[in-house]
Amino acid sequence: MKHQGIAIYAGVVFGKAYLYEPFDTEKAFYPADELGGAQARIAAYGNAAAAAIAELDRIIERIDEQDADKAAILHAQQELICDVSVEEEIHRLIEDGASVSQAIREAFEQFIRMFAGAENEFTQERVMDLQDVRNRILRCLAGQTERSLAKLEKPVVVFAKELLPSDTATLDRENVQAIVAERGGLTSHTAIIARSYRIPTVLSVENVLQQVAAGDEVIVDALDGSVIVRPGDNEREALMRKREAHARSKNETMRYHGIQAATSDGLRIGVHLNIGSDEPLPREDVAAVDGVGLFRSEFLYMKSESTLPDEERQFQAYRSVVERFSKKPIVLRTLDIGGDKQLPCLELPNEENPFLGKRALRLCFDEETLFHTQLRAALRASAYGDLRIMFPMVGSMDDIRRANACVKAVKAELRSENIAFNPNVMLGIMIEIPSIALLADVAVQEIDFASIGTNDLCQYLMAADRMNPSVTAYYQDFHPAMFRLIGYVAKTFAQAQKPLCVCGELAGDPRAALLFVGLGIRSLSMSASSIARVKQMLSSVSLAEAEAIAGKVCGMPTADQIKRELNETMDTFQH
Amino acid sequence: MYVKKAVILNRSGLHARPAADFIKAAKAFDSKVQISRTDRPGSAVNAKSMLLLLSLSIGCGTEVEISADGSDEAAAVGALTALIETRFGEA
Repeated sequence: MKHQGIAIYAGVVFGKAYLYEPFDTEKAFYPADELGGAQARIAAYGNAAAAAIAELDRIIERIDEQDADKAAILHAQQELICDVSVEEEIHRLIEDGASVSQAIREAFEQFIRMFAGAENEFTQERVMDLQDVRNRILRCLAGQTERSLAKLEKPVVVFAKELLPSDTATLDRENVQAIVAERGGLTSHTAIIARSYRIPTVLSVENVLQQVAAGDEVIVDALDGSVIVRPGDNEREALMRKREAHARSKNETMRYHGIQAATSDGLRIGVHLNIGSDEPLPREDVAAVDGVGLFRSEFLYMKSESTLPDEERQFQAYRSVVERFSKKPIVLRTLDIGGDKQLPCLELPNEENPFLGKRALRLCFDEETLFHTQLRAALRASAYGDLRIMFPMVGSMDDIRRANACVKAVKAELRSENIAFNPNVMLGIMIEIPSIALLADVAVQEIDFASIGTNDLCQYLMAADRMNPSVTAYYQDFHPAMFRLIGYVAKTFAQAQKPLCVCGELAGDPRAALLFVGLGIRSLSMSASSIARVKQMLSSVSLAEAEAIAGKVCGMPTADQIKRELNETMDTFQH
Repeated sequence: MYVKKAVILNRSGLHARPAADFIKAAKAFDSKVQISRTDRPGSAVNAKSMLLLLSLSIGCGTEVEISADGSDEAAAVGALTALIETRFGEA
């Protein structure tokens, strides 16, 4: 049976379905709760606790030697399970008549309350450990195995309601052949990760989980965005042919991957990479780009389940990326969470409108220690190459001045401690809130560079939540207002002779890349998977042609008309 | 019942590794061992529980009281106060 969704990263994959559903402690069924006598219930708790400890043992065995911190955290969690006070409390609750799952929940709740009030950060970290341990014991009590995408036994096609950034950050890239999810759109976090990991992905496939069983044969056609569950012979054959054809055209495009990006008349265009972690990058990608236009720092925080990454760990991560690209510029974006991105190690209040709420820089201004730690780590890494610092979610000059002042204060601190950093480190902003885009002529005076984040710019300009599937039609990233506004920003920065880049998902779309060049943008930043096709497109068009199309498009009334025009133009250039 | 006071002198206090070392030492004795902060009357908790120990948030400079009750009470209190005095190998 065929199910339709949105194609995120192209490819045709044949595989077996793997249903991924995080364990829900509230909804789970606990057979042990049906047991009668206190003795039997206490024994059931003992078995669950022993199973949890054994699980942790297996995880610790697999941890790299370099990751000693992680192993230490898990050892400490094992001790929590064995803690005499936990055991005594659970036994007491069970003897008072509580069911096993109730007793576990209540006992841990008491300890969590005890620590939640404490101001000490060591004890705060324990709260996360306690929650983690409680969930593990409850899952063992329910007799369910651990579910995570971090370690899969064989290659699979992952089916999920949606993937959380904490799932994708630790994803087993070897074994996830393809991703299919019921939720998520073109610019969702899952989509961004899928593109950067080059995993064929189809999102927004409604109710697909009801139609597929674990182990089912599936074909993911991430060219037209469909998924076939239990295919027939005809479907199988047709898609085999499609897979081969796709592989051939991909090889053709890939020839452009390593070339220097330029228009057909020789105007150099900077092509930069968007990266999201400190994982090793393929050498051919590093060589293919002029630098990193967007280094997302969130991933470091998402990987860490119980504590925020400390200064040393961040510094090492930033430094390793800076050194990997030697002299090339690296634009580090400071922590951008809130909105669709939550952190396992930092509890944020639920907001009515998270995208209009306390996210990114706004949150950093409130969480002073967190921001301070990141700035210290970034400045220290700036001593090792051309690291630049960029602030997300800037809406006003106040934001720019406040962020710059924070950097200034941290610099003074490092100086007084005799710690090396680049005193001329470049500071810039993301242009994603329309107010600052319209104020570009003023903003450009107080910053060294900027980067246009098209995903959020579109969502704020069009007033359409990019995570809400019911307003997808209103999220029009090819809307003429987008190109008029970006054109204005480009002109302003060109006059001021300061670097401007486009780093949203649009920069990796060859049609939009062509327009941006026509509007005066000379730098684009994208995921590695887009580099070849963008370079291919740019090489087929002259600057004058790009400018003519950009001018024409800005005068058009609708996004649809613009896309039609671009599709036709692309065809004429590429044939 | 045997009781003795000691002041925590190591920089990080009774957290992380020092706390783990302390618990390990306490568990080696059969007696019931308790620890409390002298600035918080009634704060005595089971000194063999890491969770309860951490809940006291014992930092550098805090005075604690260690008490033990059982067959090896004197040895337990002696060993634990001696451990605190070694500063857990920290500065």
